[in-house]
Amino acid sequence: MALLDAISGADAAVPNGRILRLVLLPLGFAAVMIALWQILCQTLQVRPILLPPPSAVWTVLRDNYAILLDQTLPTLSESILGFVVASVLGVAIAVALTSSRWLREALYPGIVMFQLIPKIALAPLFIVWLGVGETTSVVVAVFIAFFPIVVSTATGLVSAKPEVLQLCKSLTASEWQIFRMVRFPYALPYIFAGMKVGVTMVMIGVVVGEFITAQNGLGYIIMFAAGAGETATVLAAIVLLCVIGLGLYGVIGLAELLVLRWFGGEAPISGVI
Amino acid sequence: MSTDKLAPSIEVNGVSKVYRAGTAAAVEAVSTVSFTVPQGQFVAILGPSGCGKSTLLMMVGGLEAVSSGRLIVDGKPMTGPRTSIGVMFQDPTLLPWKSALDNVLFPVRVLKRSIADHRAAANNLLQQVGLDGFEHKRPHELSGGMRQRVAICRTLIYDPDVLLMDEPFSALDAISRDEMNELLLDLWQQFTKTALFVTHSIREAVLLADRVLVMTRRPATIVEDLTVPFARPRSMALGENREFNEICRHLRERIEDGHGRSRAPRAGTTTRRHEAAR
Amino acid sequence: MSLELPAAGSPRGVLAIGRSVRRVRPIILPIVTLTAVLLLWQLAAVRLHIPSVLLPTPSDIAQEMWHALPLLVDQAVPTALDTLLAFAAAAVLGIGLAIVITYSRPLRDTLYPNLVFFQLVPKVALAPLFVIWLGYGSPARVAFAAFISFFPVVISAALGFAGTDPAVLRLCRSLTASEWRSFLLVRFPFALPAIFSGFKVAMTMAVVGVIIGEFISSQAGLGHYILRAGSRLETADVFAALVALSVLGVALYGAVALAELGVRRAYGRR
Ligand SMILES: Nc1ncnc2c1ncn2[C@@H]1O[C@H](COP(=O)(O)OP(=O)(O)OP(=O)(O)O)[C@@H](O)[C@H]1O
Ligand SMILES: [Mg+2]
Repeated sequence: MALLDAISGADAAVPNGRILRLVLLPLGFAAVMIALWQILCQTLQVRPILLPPPSAVWTVLRDNYAILLDQTLPTLSESILGFVVASVLGVAIAVALTSSRWLREALYPGIVMFQLIPKIALAPLFIVWLGVGETTSVVVAVFIAFFPIVVSTATGLVSAKPEVLQLCKSLTASEWQIFRMVRFPYALPYIFAGMKVGVTMVMIGVVVGEFITAQNGLGYIIMFAAGAGETATVLAAIVLLCVIGLGLYGVIGLAELLVLRWFGGEAPISGVI
Repeated sequence: MSTDKLAPSIEVNGVSKVYRAGTAAAVEAVSTVSFTVPQGQFVAILGPSGCGKSTLLMMVGGLEAVSSGRLIVDGKPMTGPRTSIGVMFQDPTLLPWKSALDNVLFPVRVLKRSIADHRAAANNLLQQVGLDGFEHKRPHELSGGMRQRVAICRTLIYDPDVLLMDEPFSALDAISRDEMNELLLDLWQQFTKTALFVTHSIREAVLLADRVLVMTRRPATIVEDLTVPFARPRSMALGENREFNEICRHLRERIEDGHGRSRAPRAGTTTRRHEAAR
Repeated sequence: MSLELPAAGSPRGVLAIGRSVRRVRPIILPIVTLTAVLLLWQLAAVRLHIPSVLLPTPSDIAQEMWHALPLLVDQAVPTALDTLLAFAAAAVLGIGLAIVITYSRPLRDTLYPNLVFFQLVPKVALAPLFVIWLGYGSPARVAFAAFISFFPVVISAALGFAGTDPAVLRLCRSLTASEWRSFLLVRFPFALPAIFSGFKVAMTMAVVGVIIGEFISSQAGLGHYILRAGSRLETADVFAALVALSVLGVALYGAVALAELGVRRAYGRR
């Protein structure tokens, strides 16, 4: 975790102490918090509708895993589909934007403007257009995840060093060669940075889509269980959502790691988010 | 070197360059410069910072259009970049995700020539510049001097007739820079190419070049055209030679004169020295 | 009139016209594009007889905006207030926690990875829990919006504080400046760009949080208005409210950007 290293600074010389600090301490903290939650719920007799203890959440997960899994699958497939579509569309549009000066000047301000407005509010409109179903969730997710990917990729595509571009010109390289051999590889770290933001956005889109279309999926379970006062079920569904979110993020993070390793040590940007 | 017998390689005839012509922010970077470089001659260009040396070089390389005047390379007027002209920059501009060898082969890829045919040549070049064993290292694993050596190999691999070098060693420390000078002297024994070499170091210019041009402050014109009398092969030992130091002193004076000329009456010498140092 | 213009036909005149066009193009082109899209939309909707339930024409939307303006403003006020409250809470708490994290090594090692973890998981899923805890009123929405906009602030501010030039901090120590003074004079100004980029993300997240809160819990606010109009298939109403919401979003973001400009100027235009 590059950020953590940046924050915690030196003393890389003591690997054992480092592992203790970087892994056991945060995990221990999380464990202590969960234990405290359990103890407080039991000793203070907190009403389970307000805050069920972790053990109750675990019971729900264990006893109802078949139902929960049934609802996890649509959420998972919507997330993956949304992410893939948003990434392909985002990168393609960024390529179009950076390849034409006219397109860029005409469209880029609008895209930046769109970044600022709360696009999630358009979800009800998609229901009007597409009805209540998985398509709506996917489209909402694509719609909000696609902008960060466009902006990040476009930034990356114009980030190749001007000297390298001059070198290519002096070699009489064609625009397509320059794009393939220089611009695109230089943009890869930016594309991944955009995709990481995109993944969290896709999850927001899918969950909100399921909240308001109320057909199936974990978002639907959450709304339904919350309405019925079954808070333990809400928390169980949230745990599963976290697993999906982290899983997807992990896949992107891993791909990024491989690409950055391929890219070499001079990766222009790095970081967690 | 008997220059006038050889065919001219670069002919610069009254060339000027005005950036943002016609606007209030117009900058005349180069003003009616003329000179001719015969084939195989190594010409160094000296001049104060911002005087238009890079601009001149970019025009010769076809990377900038001339505003007026005539620019002919190898008998053909310059209209755009050519593969017979190689360019080296201050920055090695290596692609960070490619190994040293792949960086050297980059022009071969761009020019769609056969990689297989050039691999041995690339390895050979890397060996010549003292990088054997580093072929598969990537730029971030190499020192600044090593990266610049890779950049030299990359320029030589596609065998351009004319080399344009814009302060290629000025980002290096003094010791690496001496090594690079020695390397370039060595390489020049085998590859006799026409070269334009921009530098801020008078000693580097005299050591490497057959001929030194001194440019004035912007807009650049040429105030001195000096032929360096030392025969090749040269070595770094030349730096201790008395005549060498005489030539350097002379060039330094000419550069300072150049400052004085475009800045009206001669003021205190100290200010001018100070400016030259910047 | 034509005397004022540079003589057309002469190369200098053509050049001058070309140049001035190029200078205003980045401003003109987006406006032209927007106008073209609106015109095309209007034409397509009318010519192709697209039912206004599916896609109202821009003129319908403009009309709706004009009629419903008082209502929209009424609905925008609670949304704006909730957002501002949530943002303020997230900013104060976020900076506070970032300072704590910066100065305490054990707390940093303990908390930071958990913060990053929370940054990555879909926190919106917790919205219904806030309703369970705090009821259907504004406190639930504010708390939820503050909750999701808090994380970007902590993380950017912590990064900013940690990214302070160590040489300047060493200089402070050599001047025997107190921790507090070197925080005030060095760390804080150094971190300002990072803090404000966190604030900008937080402001957009706060709006999103309030809107989601209004989707699932509210009887008022633009989010509620949009959802209700959508379910009644009053699509022009939805669009009108979306325009209002966009204006609100851009205004709130603009406020943060302006504040950044002011603060940076106060710190000497960094
Ligand atoms: N693309 C450009 N647009 C406008 N002005 C330029 C441009 N490139 C260079 N100039 C101006 O032209 C002048 C000459 O620049 P140039 O880079 O050729 O100088 P130089 O002699 O190479 O300087 P240095 O020794 O510092 O490298 C400078 O005043 C510079 O500001
Ligand atoms: Mg230069």
